[in-house]
Amino acid sequence: MNVQTRMPLLAPYPELGEAPIPVEPYLSQEYYEAELNKIFRQDWLVVGREEEIANPGDYKVKKLDFARTSVILIRGKDGKIGAFHNVCRHRGNKVISETGGEETFGNNKAAVVTCRFHGWVYNAKGELVDVPMQEKFPSCFNRAENGLVPIHVGSWAGFVFVNLAKTPSKTLDEFLGGVKEHFEGYPFNEITHCHTYYAHINCNWKVGMDAFCEGYHVPTIHAGSFPGLTDYWQDDVAFHGDHRSIAFYSSDMNPPTPVGTAANELFGASIALKRDEPFPLPKMVNPKRHKNWGFEQTTVFPNFLIHVGAGLWFTHQFWPVTQDKCLWEGKYYLKPPATNSQFWAQRYAVLLQRNAWLEDTATMEDTQQALLSGVLDKINLQDDEIMLRHQFHIINGRVTGK
Amino acid sequence: MSDVGEDSKIASSQWVALCSATDVPDIGGLRIELEGREAIAVFRSGDEYFVTDDQCTHGNASLCDGDVIEGEIECPFHRGMFDLRTGQPTGSPCTVPLRTYPAELRDGLIYADISQEK
Repeated sequence: MNVQTRMPLLAPYPELGEAPIPVEPYLSQEYYEAELNKIFRQDWLVVGREEEIANPGDYKVKKLDFARTSVILIRGKDGKIGAFHNVCRHRGNKVISETGGEETFGNNKAAVVTCRFHGWVYNAKGELVDVPMQEKFPSCFNRAENGLVPIHVGSWAGFVFVNLAKTPSKTLDEFLGGVKEHFEGYPFNEITHCHTYYAHINCNWKVGMDAFCEGYHVPTIHAGSFPGLTDYWQDDVAFHGDHRSIAFYSSDMNPPTPVGTAANELFGASIALKRDEPFPLPKMVNPKRHKNWGFEQTTVFPNFLIHVGAGLWFTHQFWPVTQDKCLWEGKYYLKPPATNSQFWAQRYAVLLQRNAWLEDTATMEDTQQALLSGVLDKINLQDDEIMLRHQFHIINGRVTGK
Repeated sequence: MSDVGEDSKIASSQWVALCSATDVPDIGGLRIELEGREAIAVFRSGDEYFVTDDQCTHGNASLCDGDVIEGEIECPFHRGMFDLRTGQPTGSPCTVPLRTYPAELRDGLIYADISQEK
């Protein structure tokens, strides 16, 4: 039987090709090391939101397993955020114990961090400001030369980025390029009530990225969580250098359940249940102001997915841990609920979304194990999987230098 | 201090008005820099006000950035503690007493005699 080739999304981008893509990037240790050295240790990476450390002296410690380090982000009394390796200059203890796991939060009104081992104290500029019994150190010891090891840090739209390179090849502005204009005006800073999920998943980090980058899977894997979402389509493809955007549309859904209807009337917290309330969007997001627009996804290279909807936004991030292990972090943002009813409506929507994310993440280990069988050397992509194809081309270009 | 009643210890010329009681924060203390001497700190615990040196006797910390916990101040650097009434160290690693000064609330102002230790 002949199948007609109809690839309207891919057609304007012949450079992305139509051939299957290789499996090697998901399995090879060598390829993985090259990704770390040429991408993750060179590029700007999202490690938090400014409102997480809103006040002077607030700090966050974010583990970065791929680099075997963790980053201290601390807001100084001057309001500026500093980023440093969480490594004491004395004998290398972690200055702040990661009692919070992947993310540890704290506050010190003096805007300092103190190593709990011997009490060395560093301020928000990383300067070593106090060493107990300093007179017992030899005369060659110089406090001024023993501040915390700094990391390049920057912010855009409330997202805090770090760059582990000694000298980043691009400023954060240059790195983001068209992404900034694309999202100009989206009120990330007003929609700040965050629901967080995370899991360590036994798969290559790109297997995780892939699962969230296409709508093809929705009618099948999400038949349980989103039974009405059968007729979807994708549009508004845009490439901003290494970054990429695409929008997801769907026909009007089957009537939601009575509880879903009730929740949606109280607060529009679900991407699966549309509301007719107008919501101001950047002009490049849903540019035709189409009534069936659901949400838009932008991948900030290499590992951060931002989805914006009408009145809500959410992110996914996949951190490499080894070539076949990663950390997934999913965050869902709503405006703070004003009433108990809205609180309930939001929880309903968030749990619906959580179920969908469980359906997504449940495929990832199966995918990795199947690839590890070695039975396949390439995988097939259809038109809706254009984001995966772009991801492959960008990463492969960086890894191979071609 | 000529407007202060003679029946009070505030009548002494050594007493100075440091700040309004409402300037003293609920969390931490109010640091006051004075010419020719080290900065001092004004704390409140419950309804009582206390005036001490601001710098910790252990590390180079401003105690005003610390936490007041039931009549004690906890240093923000190493969590050492002092009794605000006596200045005695009450929590390791602090071992040297903190200088404290006689203080009094009057007409909404905090007065202290910073010429002598309590």
